[in-house]
Amino acid sequence: MKQLNYKFVIKYILPGLFLAFCLAIPGFTSGYMLRVLNIALITYLCVLSLYVILGMCGQNSFAQAGLWGVGAYMAANFVMKMGAPPLAALLLSSLGTAVFAFVLGFAFFRLRQYYFTFASVGLMAILNGLFMNWNEVTGGALGITNIPSFSIGGAIIKSEPGNFYVIFFICLAAFFLMKVLFNSALGRSFMAIRDNEIAANCLGVNSLLTKSIAFGISGALCGAAGALYAFLAGYLSYQTFTFQQSTMYLIMIMLGGTMSPSGALIGTLIISLLQEWVRPLQNYMQFIYGAGIMILMIVQPEGIFGGGKAIYDKYLKHSKTARTEAD
Amino acid sequence: MNLQLLVSGVSTGVVYGLIAMGMVLIFRAVGVMNFAQGEFLMFGGYLCYTLNRLLHLPIGLSLILASLLMGAVGVIFMRTSYWPLRNAQARAIIVSAMGASIVLKEGARLIWGSIPVTVERVVNGSTTLAGSAVVQWQYVAIIVISAMIMALVYLLLEKTFIGHIMQATAQDQYMASLVGIPVIMSIGLTFALSAFLTGIGGGLLAPLFFLNNTMGATAGAKAFAAIVIGGFGSVQGAIIGGLIVGLVEAFGGAYISTTYQLVLIYVMLVLVLMFRPQGIFGGKIQEKA
Repeated sequence: MKQLNYKFVIKYILPGLFLAFCLAIPGFTSGYMLRVLNIALITYLCVLSLYVILGMCGQNSFAQAGLWGVGAYMAANFVMKMGAPPLAALLLSSLGTAVFAFVLGFAFFRLRQYYFTFASVGLMAILNGLFMNWNEVTGGALGITNIPSFSIGGAIIKSEPGNFYVIFFICLAAFFLMKVLFNSALGRSFMAIRDNEIAANCLGVNSLLTKSIAFGISGALCGAAGALYAFLAGYLSYQTFTFQQSTMYLIMIMLGGTMSPSGALIGTLIISLLQEWVRPLQNYMQFIYGAGIMILMIVQPEGIFGGGKAIYDKYLKHSKTARTEAD
Repeated sequence: MNLQLLVSGVSTGVVYGLIAMGMVLIFRAVGVMNFAQGEFLMFGGYLCYTLNRLLHLPIGLSLILASLLMGAVGVIFMRTSYWPLRNAQARAIIVSAMGASIVLKEGARLIWGSIPVTVERVVNGSTTLAGSAVVQWQYVAIIVISAMIMALVYLLLEKTFIGHIMQATAQDQYMASLVGIPVIMSIGLTFALSAFLTGIGGGLLAPLFFLNNTMGATAGAKAFAAIVIGGFGSVQGAIIGGLIVGLVEAFGGAYISTTYQLVLIYVMLVLVLMFRPQGIFGGKIQEKA
């Protein structure tokens, strides 16, 4: 009975409290901090996309920041050149990026493992080059300025708290969609490919199609994140969507743990907020940050959440054996 | 004009080849791409700068000393960011190498500042070839020195006992330890050799492109393209790939567009991956079930 209570607390009460806390955040934080949080949540969507492709499907991609950029420029173009309402632009750019990633996936997943990773590095560099030089669509080196704010129907959402709620609910929806995906047949075939591709093929999983779908889903997440970023920042520059950003996502997800969306959240928040809190130490910050990543990987290669979960499982097992021994 | 481009393309190409060789050696030894290789180039350049400009040693001596010091850096790198993780997943090693690359980059900024610096040329002046092509002697020196180093590495790997130990470890660590090879020493040597090769490249390039603490990323990215184009895991392939990248950069920059230089290289990389994934020189790589 006591066991059940622990589970109940961990499964429902803690997340409930966390949710309530999150909803109350705009009440007590400054506008600047909210801005940081908004950006962190957008980054979380990108890290979540890496969770799909790396954590579930086992394919390491360095192109996520590029897909993020594709989404952002698409949304900006939909709104500014075609006059689409922002909500429609958000959905369209998410869908568009998903299709873009899905089609590219068909070409790129003919390459396996390392080779896919290499191709994704190439894709990232090519996309960044396009953002920098394709003046008609991306504004070239000047970027795109004066992108209108997000709006639903006629209500324009300009304030930071308003943006926070919009982004927060989209993140929440993405989080639960990932949970659903994790338990679905599709998610299981992703994980079958991750664990052993040849065995998955033998069980009838079409690995090329499945991996492309995974890349497509990650593209949808990145596209949504890109559109939200475009509306939030109001300004797009090719310098945002770089290879460094992609490596940052990888570091975030490895820090939190690749095996769950919660781990991705922990990693994202730690890195995004740490950079703000230790701003006085700015000069040494990056150095400490690099050393911290190395140390963390050495002591906890499964990431913070992975490690914590391992301890929790061990505890459960331990108490179970203790009870059976008592019986 | 063309001759001039050829010389500058080949000379930057051989340096990319050196970096790529360093990457390939590490990849063959431990099976993971080293994402901090570009930072070795930057660090080697800065060490050379310290010895040459701050301690006023002659350039030849400081090149040699700097690259030997880089060997030590390579061993430290291996001991801190690879060895503790040797049994973990490959991506943990990749992330830890990324952490190390940030440490090297920021360490260089804290030590040497962020203002670009330069070192002395190995040979000063320039010569005029075939009427109109002005060729700086530094380019020629880079080509000659790099070619010599490549030949020495070939001899070291193929003809000496230590080279055989390193190759045996690269092929199968467990088997190597069974026949009595100290694996940690052998891998340490490989990392040292890799950092040595890349570090000397930094000292050679420094007079042509100023040194700064962020140069590692671009150089590393190009060397990476060189490896994939040349053939993954092959040392000859790395050199050829480096030359191809250097030439594409020089001629593409002159005839097509300087802004699309990097894009051109990567479009080539993706095309090579699509149509000949094992690269120009790579053999067929077997897949592990």
